[in-house]
Amino acid sequence: MRAELRFTLNGAAVEAFVQPQARLLDVLRDTLGATGTKEGCSEGECGACTVLIDGRAVASCLFPALEAEGKRVVTVEGLRQDNGDPSAVQRAFIDKGGVQCGFCTPGMVMATTALLAENPAPTDDEIRAGLVGNLCRCTGYVQIIDAVKQAAGELATKERS
Amino acid sequence: MTDAAYHRPTTLDAALALKRDEPSARFIAGGTDLLVQLRKRKVAPAPLISLRNIPELCGVSVEDEAIRIGATTSLAELLRHEVIRRELRALGHALWTLASQQIRNVGTLGGNLCNASPAADTAPPLLAFDAAVELAGPKSRRTLPLASFLAGPGKTQLAAGELLSCVVVPRPPRGTQSAFLRQGRVAMDLSLASVAAFICIEDDRKAPVVRLAAGAVGPVPMRLRNAEATLVGRPLDAAALVAAAEAAAAEVSPINDLRSSANYRRRLVRVLCERALRQALGDKEIHHEG
Ligand SMILES: Cc1cc2nc3c(=O)[nH]c(=O)nc-3n(C[C@H](O)[C@H](O)[C@H](O)COP(=O)(O)OP(=O)(O)OC[C@H]3O[C@@H](n4cnc5c(N)ncnc54)[C@H](O)[C@@H]3O)c2cc1C
Ligand code: FES
Ligand code: FES
Repeated sequence: MRAELRFTLNGAAVEAFVQPQARLLDVLRDTLGATGTKEGCSEGECGACTVLIDGRAVASCLFPALEAEGKRVVTVEGLRQDNGDPSAVQRAFIDKGGVQCGFCTPGMVMATTALLAENPAPTDDEIRAGLVGNLCRCTGYVQIIDAVKQAAGELATKERS
Repeated sequence: MTDAAYHRPTTLDAALALKRDEPSARFIAGGTDLLVQLRKRKVAPAPLISLRNIPELCGVSVEDEAIRIGATTSLAELLRHEVIRRELRALGHALWTLASQQIRNVGTLGGNLCNASPAADTAPPLLAFDAAVELAGPKSRRTLPLASFLAGPGKTQLAAGELLSCVVVPRPPRGTQSAFLRQGRVAMDLSLASVAAFICIEDDRKAPVVRLAAGAVGPVPMRLRNAEATLVGRPLDAAALVAAAEAAAAEVSPINDLRSSANYRRRLVRVLCERALRQALGDKEIHHEG
């Protein structure tokens, strides 16, 4: 038995036939070929699978695909700017060395994007609280926090100009 | 992955009818507990009835006497709600330290209570605020105090075919302060112990009302009635808070598990209880001896 599912993925309308209890993560990766979103723990703990749904960060490993019906889903593939450049958040992770093996990065970048949309000037504690659901085994987090601060600063400058 | 169905009713009546026709089906709200349990095979595969697309179950309404919270209101929405942050501070504290933005955005208040974990972080504050739950079944509706709804680890008073529709929190009177403190091993871990304190000092002539509750230190989140009793008719000075904290530590029944020993949990209750009372009173009024 398959169910029909339609939603917007990174701005484009998509359609898929999915098992009724399929996870959004599997539909993104296996059905739609959007493999930027990673699977780590499969239990909501690590954040590697973070995507935005109607602007809010969710763990796609715990999200029934059918609940995405009619919603706007954004994955790491959808963050780049119109001219193809990386977003301010992506740029900051590169500049500050917030990426080592890169496995956590798509989730980190999505969670940071959601965090800054809700709180454009977070304190260090607010950054830690905002990213508490994203684990990184490589960086030790210091560079990630630096990256979030750089991105916040850049977005604030853009806002002013 | 199963081929089992995933239903998305859009009214409460339709959800109840689906459950009546398919008693083996399970309700799912945010799924942040249930989908993990299904994946770990702690729960057998089953058809799922989603409660997420039912407007009458979702949202906060602030009335004169009570704040009504629809069961499927997300934890994140509650945390953003201005009246909740202002009047139900202890609940706000609990939401702030509960899981991550990813989980709070989909996890619901009803799911946290119906999952009935002894460590459910929204329960101690709601017990301290003397909240009630409204249950909807195929034939009738009923209201229970939250304290009697929670029946044991993973157990509630929900009858077959019934669901939780709304959590009703009485508006705290003016002069109310509240606080919630928890201790986990690391961020994002379940609480080892938690304490919520509610203190209402309406005016100087009236005796203060104090309610205390604890989580993760018994089969269900519980009111700390003995600790509350020690404070009746007594000025809320430093010695009183210590006595209450000691009574709290004596009345909880924590277990040993892989997260911590029972003994450590009991000590945590003493410390958290005193600190939560102190925080609710506003540190300035209390002086620490030594
Ligand atoms: C990584 C991670 C960290 C977490 N950390 C915490 C934490 O720190 N503190 C904490 O308390 N919790 C924590 N949780 C648990 C969970 O997120 C919460 O309990 C959440 O509120 C559950 O809500 P839900 O809507 O996702 O429930 P669901 O998973 O949808 O449902 C849970 C159970 O309740 C039933 N149910 C749900 N809604 C209703 C209803 N309205 N009527 C009848 N039955 C219903 C379901 O059938 C199911 O059995 C964590 C979870 C994860 C994955
Ligand atoms: S894979 Fe989803 S949170 Fe780890
Ligand atoms: S960069 Fe390797 S896990 Fe974060």
